[in-house]
Amino acid sequence: MDNTAYVALSRQITLRRQLDIIANNVANADTAGFKVEQLLTEEEAVRPARSHGIRRPVDFVVDGEVARDFSQGGFTRTGNTFDVAVEGDGFLVVRTPAGDRYTRDGRLQLDGRNRLVTAAGQPVLAGGGELVFNPEAPTPVIAPDGTVSQGNVQLGRLDVVRFDSRRSLAKGGDNLFSAGVPARPAPDVRLRQGMLEQSNVKPVLEITSLIEVSRAYERATRIVDQTQDLSRRAVERLGRTQ
Amino acid sequence: MRALRTAATGMMAQQLNVEVISNNIANMNTVGFKRQRAEFQDLMYQSLERQGAQSSEAGTVVPTGVQVGHGVKAGSVYRITEQGSATRTDNRFDLAISGRGFLQITLPSGETAYTRAGNLALNDQGQLVTDDGYAVNPQITIPQDAVEVTISKSGQVQVSQQGQPAPTVVGTIELATFVNEAGLEALGDNLFLESGASGPATTGQPGSPGFGELLQGYTEASNVDAVSEITALIAAQRAYEMNSKVINTADEMLNVSTQLKQ
Repeated sequence: MDNTAYVALSRQITLRRQLDIIANNVANADTAGFKVEQLLTEEEAVRPARSHGIRRPVDFVVDGEVARDFSQGGFTRTGNTFDVAVEGDGFLVVRTPAGDRYTRDGRLQLDGRNRLVTAAGQPVLAGGGELVFNPEAPTPVIAPDGTVSQGNVQLGRLDVVRFDSRRSLAKGGDNLFSAGVPARPAPDVRLRQGMLEQSNVKPVLEITSLIEVSRAYERATRIVDQTQDLSRRAVERLGRTQ
Repeated sequence: MRALRTAATGMMAQQLNVEVISNNIANMNTVGFKRQRAEFQDLMYQSLERQGAQSSEAGTVVPTGVQVGHGVKAGSVYRITEQGSATRTDNRFDLAISGRGFLQITLPSGETAYTRAGNLALNDQGQLVTDDGYAVNPQITIPQDAVEVTISKSGQVQVSQQGQPAPTVVGTIELATFVNEAGLEALGDNLFLESGASGPATTGQPGSPGFGELLQGYTEASNVDAVSEITALIAAQRAYEMNSKVINTADEMLNVSTQLKQ
């Protein structure tokens, strides 16, 4: 009898988590290079709490995984020298104290030591090393293949990598991903200077899933409600017959 | 419920966005003003089911876990140092910088500040000063009997005096450049200070490699584009509304739970 309530409860837990993820998507609608996420649920068949010799399957809902939609976000023109949008399946490589991280957030800038860094001040790699600019040379140009030059001088080529399995990427905040599999060079990815990739959050989809989640939550609650109602009535009726 | 707090971070981020946009619009007619942009980053993630964790004794691993984000934070407010358009004023002490560089200004405290607002004037001693009366560095004094003042593209200040056929050079205006102009610390009054992020100032003559040129009789307009600011404002407002919808939904769901019959 209680199983019904427990199954409904498992659905409610996943729905709450789904809402958390939608909230994060909506909050990051303006974060450059952000990739929208979705909770995938799966069933988990378990033995009922009390079985009277009858095999009744009870399937709980569990949150299986968070799927990330890596589709391209829209481009906006900023005209900033150090803004870079990544077009295609590729990531820029960022060196952090915790190891190499990967990002599609191309809001780069120079730090006080003339190095090319992310908005958080971590160096972006070119050829496995840091890229250092000459303050007296003309404005840098970043070619679509990642080659950075100032005037006639080539400074290096920005590392752009891809992964065989993007599912193995984990988010670490600050628009950075960490990878569980080795990175491979991505020569066919183009970089666009003076542009930024917006997040690929689609507001309409988020709001509709918001409605969906809220209604599904109500339904699950109604199941709990009705189950309790049923047991209450059963107790009442049994009490009358005796 | 985490969604409530996550949506709240989204609303705060959009509030900052609107503040930055409104500052840009307010300074649309400020000489030498550079528009700003708020940048956002996602907050840390909580791993509920670690990826890479073993899912059986046979050594199978979870390929992707459940990671739930905690919302958004303001990364930085970035100044876009794009050139503003030059506006003709015909004022002989107005200077626009075409290209990189800042005018150096000596503050009353003795510190050096930097500006691109070239609407200069003379004070009672004939010194070239800003709107607020702060002297340009290196100091330039225009003689009282000067008939005409010419400031060349390379910063040479020449005056023609009565009775003298050849103009005399009274000084040279120098410019300062920074590796990371966006890292300068804004002081208000169109002034900036050197900071750790900007790197030290490199001074040089206007027109030399890496430095912009001076245009006499022009001022540099702000680089705020009204249309893009208004569209950004609309987008920010809608994003704010969407976050409030999330809060509403979370609230409704909590309400449904609390109304469960006992």
